Amino acid sequence: MPDTILVVAEQREGKLNRVSWETITAAQSIAAATGWTLEAAVVGAGPTAIAAEVAAKKLAKVYAVESPKLEPYTPDAFAAALKQLLATKPPKLVLMPHTYQVRDFVPKLATAMGRTVISDCIGFRHENGKLVFTRQMFQGKFAADVSFNSDAPWFATFQNGAFRGDKAEAGASAAPVETVNVDIADGVVRNQPQEVFKEAKQAVDLTQAEIIVSVGRGIKEQKNIEIAKQLADALGGDLAASRPICDSGWLPMDRQIGSSGQTVAPKLYLALGISGAIQHIVGMKGSRTIIAVNKDSEAPIFEIADYAIVGNLFDIVPPLIEEVKKAKAGS
Amino acid sequence: MKILVCMKQVPQKDAPLKLNETGAWIREDVSYEVNEPDAYALEEALRQKEKHTGEVVVITSGPARAQQVLREALAKGADRAIHLEDNAFVGLDAFNTAKAFAAAIKDEKFDLIFTGLQSDDYGYAQTGVILAELLGWPHATIIMQIEKTDAGIRVKRELEAGFFQFVDMPLPAVLTIQSGINKLRYATLIGIKQAKNKPLRKVTLAEVQSAIGENLQKIERLYVPQKTKKTEHIEGSPFEIAKKLVDKLRNELRVL
Amino acid sequence: MLIFRKPMEGVERPQMPADVVIVGGGPAGMACALRLSQLIDQHNATYPDSRLSKENVYVLEKAREIGQHCLSGALLDPRSMRELIPGFEKEAPLDAEVTKEAVYFLTEKRKFKLPITPPPLRDHGNYVISLNRFVKWLGGKVEETGITIFTGFAGSELLFDGDRVTGVQTDDKGVDKEGHQKSNFEPGYDLNAKITILAEGPRGSLTKQLVSKFDLAKNANPQTYGIGVKELWEVPSGSVAPGEVTYTLGWPLTPKEYGGAWIYGGKDNIVSLGFVTGLDYPDPRLDPQRVLQDFKQHPMVAKLLEGGKMIRYGAKSMPYGGWWAIPPVAGNGWMILGDSAGFLNSARLKGIHLAIKSGMLAAETAFEALKKDDSSAAALGEYQKKVESSWIKDELWKVRNMHQGFEQGMYAGMFHTGLQMITGGRGLRNRYPAKAGHEHMRRLAQLPADGGNEAHLLGPAKGDGKLTFDKLTDLYHSGTKHEEDQPAHLVIYDTHVCNTRCVKEFGSPCQNFCPANVYEMVDDSTQPNGKRISLNPSNCVHCKTCDIADPYQIITWVPPEGGGGPNYDGM
Repeated sequence: MPDTILVVAEQREGKLNRVSWETITAAQSIAAATGWTLEAAVVGAGPTAIAAEVAAKKLAKVYAVESPKLEPYTPDAFAAALKQLLATKPPKLVLMPHTYQVRDFVPKLATAMGRTVISDCIGFRHENGKLVFTRQMFQGKFAADVSFNSDAPWFATFQNGAFRGDKAEAGASAAPVETVNVDIADGVVRNQPQEVFKEAKQAVDLTQAEIIVSVGRGIKEQKNIEIAKQLADALGGDLAASRPICDSGWLPMDRQIGSSGQTVAPKLYLALGISGAIQHIVGMKGSRTIIAVNKDSEAPIFEIADYAIVGNLFDIVPPLIEEVKKAKAGS
Repeated sequence: MKILVCMKQVPQKDAPLKLNETGAWIREDVSYEVNEPDAYALEEALRQKEKHTGEVVVITSGPARAQQVLREALAKGADRAIHLEDNAFVGLDAFNTAKAFAAAIKDEKFDLIFTGLQSDDYGYAQTGVILAELLGWPHATIIMQIEKTDAGIRVKRELEAGFFQFVDMPLPAVLTIQSGINKLRYATLIGIKQAKNKPLRKVTLAEVQSAIGENLQKIERLYVPQKTKKTEHIEGSPFEIAKKLVDKLRNELRVL
Repeated sequence: MLIFRKPMEGVERPQMPADVVIVGGGPAGMACALRLSQLIDQHNATYPDSRLSKENVYVLEKAREIGQHCLSGALLDPRSMRELIPGFEKEAPLDAEVTKEAVYFLTEKRKFKLPITPPPLRDHGNYVISLNRFVKWLGGKVEETGITIFTGFAGSELLFDGDRVTGVQTDDKGVDKEGHQKSNFEPGYDLNAKITILAEGPRGSLTKQLVSKFDLAKNANPQTYGIGVKELWEVPSGSVAPGEVTYTLGWPLTPKEYGGAWIYGGKDNIVSLGFVTGLDYPDPRLDPQRVLQDFKQHPMVAKLLEGGKMIRYGAKSMPYGGWWAIPPVAGNGWMILGDSAGFLNSARLKGIHLAIKSGMLAAETAFEALKKDDSSAAALGEYQKKVESSWIKDELWKVRNMHQGFEQGMYAGMFHTGLQMITGGRGLRNRYPAKAGHEHMRRLAQLPADGGNEAHLLGPAKGDGKLTFDKLTDLYHSGTKHEEDQPAHLVIYDTHVCNTRCVKEFGSPCQNFCPANVYEMVDDSTQPNGKRISLNPSNCVHCKTCDIADPYQIITWVPPEGGGGPNYDGM
């Protein structure tokens, strides 16, 4: 039996979570490097439609893992279902996107099988027949190469944006979809989830903004956000912030960019006083152009910035507003 | 309510870090602090105790220096502390850390176990979930709020993109707590004094050795990340910077 | 609107009794605590029936960690440590024994080595140390003996009852920028102590309160200070040997300023270097951080630092006034130690050993006072007597007029110093007078607009980012952090003076003498001069320079919320 890679795509309320394409891209790269066969799985109460969507990509097979107990999502049900699937057809490698949902169940699944997960990876390397995964540590200060020291199946999750979803190769023809009915006994599922809801009245959909001016802790005080707003207005863009700003109530939650807020990819992202913690970066690193202003020359944000300004944002923003206004006035 | 809070000591957030000779870990001669999400987990546990009476126990694994985290927790109001003390604990993966904790608390009867949602150094977000599976308990992650109900607890889970979800769960359960959900209390002088007399149980590596095994994953090496992006520095006086930037915005990036 | 920190009114404060409260966990405070502990242990071993307790002896340290706010060159004269812990060299973290010293006189491009190292600067037998690491170690020993060190708590007010000091009030926590209570507000405690010992370092804020309230300085010279601006560098192997000590005089300072530099070789390729500038310079535009950057550009220094990396920055003031500037150091319920009192030998540029010795003498006095349950002025006055009959006095007496001799400039100073050296410190008269440093500061109107010969010392450093740095970059390497949402702890008595008078008369020198960019004059069209004072209190490195050098003496530095401040790892 050839070694297989299994990508577990994520579906939420009947729709495919698009970040799953990124995992497929990663998996296709690994398959190409190792020669292993690529398969995928979709887990849910009625996964067939989504399984068909996934089957359009270049892979050998898609498993539609079904059980009425899989809706709504609970870690007990998902872990039990996947454990059954993996028991019948143990792959070498199981890959998932590092979403909140995956974080909630994959460590449980791996532990139940006596295995381990390398989570939040940003890349991989295949050298001398050994597969090594790269991830960030110490808030991005260091990268780590991590390898497995256990039997297969190996579990790994990939960070949002580490691979490009649009690079997932399509298959010449649709891959076969196999329905797998899993049996989840009564009493296995212990959590009772209620309806998912949104708290913030979405006044602005930042995912549609072309220009975003974003503030972080470097803005120091709530009243200083005013100059960022002026800059945003001058540029014709929107105001956003990193998590601590919204936690403090200085800006509403719907202005938050990051793993627990919105993910954006505007033409221009101007980061003012943002250090570049991973939780924020995953929400904006897809931006076309990133300009960062920070007084710390070693701030991680500069790793991903196209233009870096090391300095005091309170000195830099006011003349910038003036120059932008002048330029727009056509002078 | 008997609550266990798992806490971790991590290098200070803005401490300059250097790699050690093996290149597989950092040099330990830096300042340490409590993992930020764990501080919020502790605060939440203390608030639950204040609301429902009970006991808050804190646990950590690590060298002698890690005791500081427990002392601070006791000073803030935790009742007891457990320290798995040995340098070797630093190198254990999440799986083994969870196993060591499970072994250390096997004779206790907790209603709830809290961990921070992830650590500031590893950032794996696994230890709490693994511990739940080892104990056979239900769990929920990235929790913002906890309320007691007749059947157990109702928790508020944070989801991506501004979504939330309430989940009803039975006890006992493991919860991983989100950062920033409450205002952290200060330790008081009297709290610090009283902390000295609160029970702190030390657990040696030998005592939990049989529970743990070899690490299932290995950090081959740590390194300063290679910059793939070419970053252009814009320099000069603020006025010069403004002019240069606007020039780029207009002519290169065409956003003006 | 600037809201300044002050104790919250109308709150009930928790009361905590104490036998001894030591404010400040630096070398003086820790030595005091350790010595007291030794005496109590000895006593309890000999008289088990009349045991004394250590339960109510406390050290208050405003930093989050022991040693975190300690900064010095530093060179340790082991004399007092050997008394405190015989054989301490075996366990204390010492970087290196001093192997060689050299004193250079610099001009912009050249250097002249003094053929003989002046006796006060001979350091054989001394150790290069990191004061931060040393105090961490010493503090560890204090904790081991069972004395409680409260880290993250500042002594913010003295408690008085008539002419008696009855204890210390700690800082209020959880107060927002507007001065209101946050949801996690914790009022400061009233630590009601039998004996209050002030070991706050140079220009202590409680010491200032005490001296002012009881007019303690009326018979003393005004205390004068210098500011030491320091950088820690990692250099390529072999650039400097551990234990190598270098002092410089001259460039970049002119004969009008007092000061000089140090370069100490530590271990693991670490070099400690810094520049001390006397805070009695005439031109208000002088920027001490800039002076250090200029100094590094001297070929001798630039070569030393080539290929190196600056890893930490900090600054602290130090008291130069010498013996005549020391106020009474004991009174009804109180004693003052170390730099807070002014025990620093400005000729040898050393104070740590004196701080430690003063701590030990105070501990011995406190011990007797606790035994007899008498902490009156008479009882604690024994400390004053002990100091005056100890080698602290011997050492400081010989250099009692050293700094004052320099008040007329470098050449006069050297003349007087030479004379003092052959007259056992007397010089021309037993007691030279002194003027407070800020009184030397001239008004802009009296100075050349372009700065004249001092031009290269004036205004902010630009920095090339490799050898020299602008203040903000340097500041980042001090690791300074504070809770942002709190009232400003740089209490300015009347900001109108800043906006109306100082701008014109002195050009707002706070922007220059503060090594941390705390003070800024921002544009404000509603002000008569178009500028308004603005503060960045969270940048503060707790050096106290502003309290010292402000020409109108309207700035009072008070401790911010405990736990905040610089992170002087390795300094």
